Amino acid sequence: MTEQPFLQVRDLNYSYPDGTQALRGINLTFGLGEMVAFIGQNGSGKTTLSKCLNGLFKPTSGDVIVDGLNTKSTSIVQMVRRVGYVFQNPDHQLFNNNCWDEIAYGPRNIQLPEDDVRERVEEAAHIVGLHESYFTEHPFFLPKGLRQRVAIASILALRPKVIIVDEPTTGQDSKQSIEIMDFLQKLNQELGHTIIIITHDMPIVADYAERVVAIGLGQVIDDGPTAEVFSQPENLARTFIEPRQITQLAHACHDLGFKRGTLKVQEMIDQVNALTA
Amino acid sequence: MSAIIEIKHYSWRYLSQQNFALEDISLEIEEGSFVGIIGPNGSGKTTLALSIDGLIPGHYHGVKKGELYILGKEVEQYETGLLQQTVGMVFSDPESQFTSMTVEDELVFGMENLGLSIPEIRERLEWVTDLVDLGPLLMKPPYEVSGGQKQRVALAAVLAMMPRIMILDEPTSMLDPISRKRVFDVLGKLRADQRNTIIVIEHSLENLVPLTDHMVMLHNGTLLREAETHAFFEDMNTLLEHDAFPPDVMTFTHKLMEAGLYKGPLPLTVEEASRQLHQWLPAVKTSTPSEAEGHQHD
Repeated sequence: MTEQPFLQVRDLNYSYPDGTQALRGINLTFGLGEMVAFIGQNGSGKTTLSKCLNGLFKPTSGDVIVDGLNTKSTSIVQMVRRVGYVFQNPDHQLFNNNCWDEIAYGPRNIQLPEDDVRERVEEAAHIVGLHESYFTEHPFFLPKGLRQRVAIASILALRPKVIIVDEPTTGQDSKQSIEIMDFLQKLNQELGHTIIIITHDMPIVADYAERVVAIGLGQVIDDGPTAEVFSQPENLARTFIEPRQITQLAHACHDLGFKRGTLKVQEMIDQVNALTA
Repeated sequence: MSAIIEIKHYSWRYLSQQNFALEDISLEIEEGSFVGIIGPNGSGKTTLALSIDGLIPGHYHGVKKGELYILGKEVEQYETGLLQQTVGMVFSDPESQFTSMTVEDELVFGMENLGLSIPEIRERLEWVTDLVDLGPLLMKPPYEVSGGQKQRVALAAVLAMMPRIMILDEPTSMLDPISRKRVFDVLGKLRADQRNTIIVIEHSLENLVPLTDHMVMLHNGTLLREAETHAFFEDMNTLLEHDAFPPDVMTFTHKLMEAGLYKGPLPLTVEEASRQLHQWLPAVKTSTPSEAEGHQHD
């Protein structure tokens, strides 16, 4: 492919004003339509990297190029149309008195005419499945799952190609987690958004991500297709991450003929059937 | 052993809500046991925790039915503040419990309120700092440390008070898998050493299940299921129907059982599952399936 990847990170270093070096020599590229998970210990640099990807943080050295634009010389207004970031806690992001204004805030902020704003809000609300009866509701009085949808809608209204979602399933029960992830998968598969989730939930990673970027101490420890990354627990251990139980079990039973990097329970059952046939 | 917590036909409705958050709950928890409470969001888990801690009905308005006894005494019979010396609660939102300017003060605050002597406070501070690994954070403001560290501070602050009953409401929701395991290791040590009664509310069952003696599942405010841990997971279909997802190794073994491939105990950990598979699979390969069915792990 001669085409430039949509998002390129080159030799990225980032230090906080107090001198703490959060990212060291990161090189990554992302195309359109990818479904990626960033994994790593608390404090490993996942969130800092994400904020560099959307231009909220400018590299201390190195470059982040999005859609041909270098974040160093591009205004936030241009960046938010390309890379959206959904906060871990939707309450850190929601501040308007009703859901309509919340979703309209971004489009208004980039100074779209009010007709376009209306179109964007309706479109975004439709995508996240937020019924119009909620438009006049105060976001704070909605359950967390819905607050998160409002938060995602407010990002979608800017129509970014890349959407980064920080800890989408934290505090959600199993059913809610599946609902949120199915929804993000739909954005990815049907609308072609690149989705990057930051998560500690390894079953979610195994079930949904096609690519995993493992980060440890500000560096990329591993980057590849999910099954490949999970087939090397030694690398993962360096990021203080353990794969989900079924992957660990397959690894422990490799001598019996089970495949390292087994991601799902059903995959394991299929292997039992093949081995006992 | 006697029941340290006795809940009899207990119901609670918050004044602002139409429906009962908990309805006709009857449950006994033995002293020294380790109990896991699971259930979807909105099933009443936190309400139950607040009720055992006496914050309901103390700090909330609502309608109560039935009784809830801690150490044989109804929670409403305790003087304000006294019940909380017996029952310590770690909230899912750690910031809601912080009051001090440094992590150290936060840890000491509760012990001072218990009226402990200075040497005793110092000793427990060292113990808990070491146990939960908070040394480098002691002088930092608790609201400035990371989300995961906040959860550890909140846990340590309650541990330092050594309550006979500890309730932890999603204590590891913000932690990465290894830190999560560390918190559960701490809980495992407490279980072995202190003989506290420990109640943990969690969505993620992998780390929780191996520590528990008993599991409780709430659904829509009612007690759906309650049993000794192995027995609890035997009826896995009921759990799955109510959106409770058991740990992978249990789901895996359960599927083998349903297919008639395996008979034996459900594993609680990856190690147990691996041991079972290593005994079972080679036996199946060299024998007919009917012979293999009787093969048990020891």
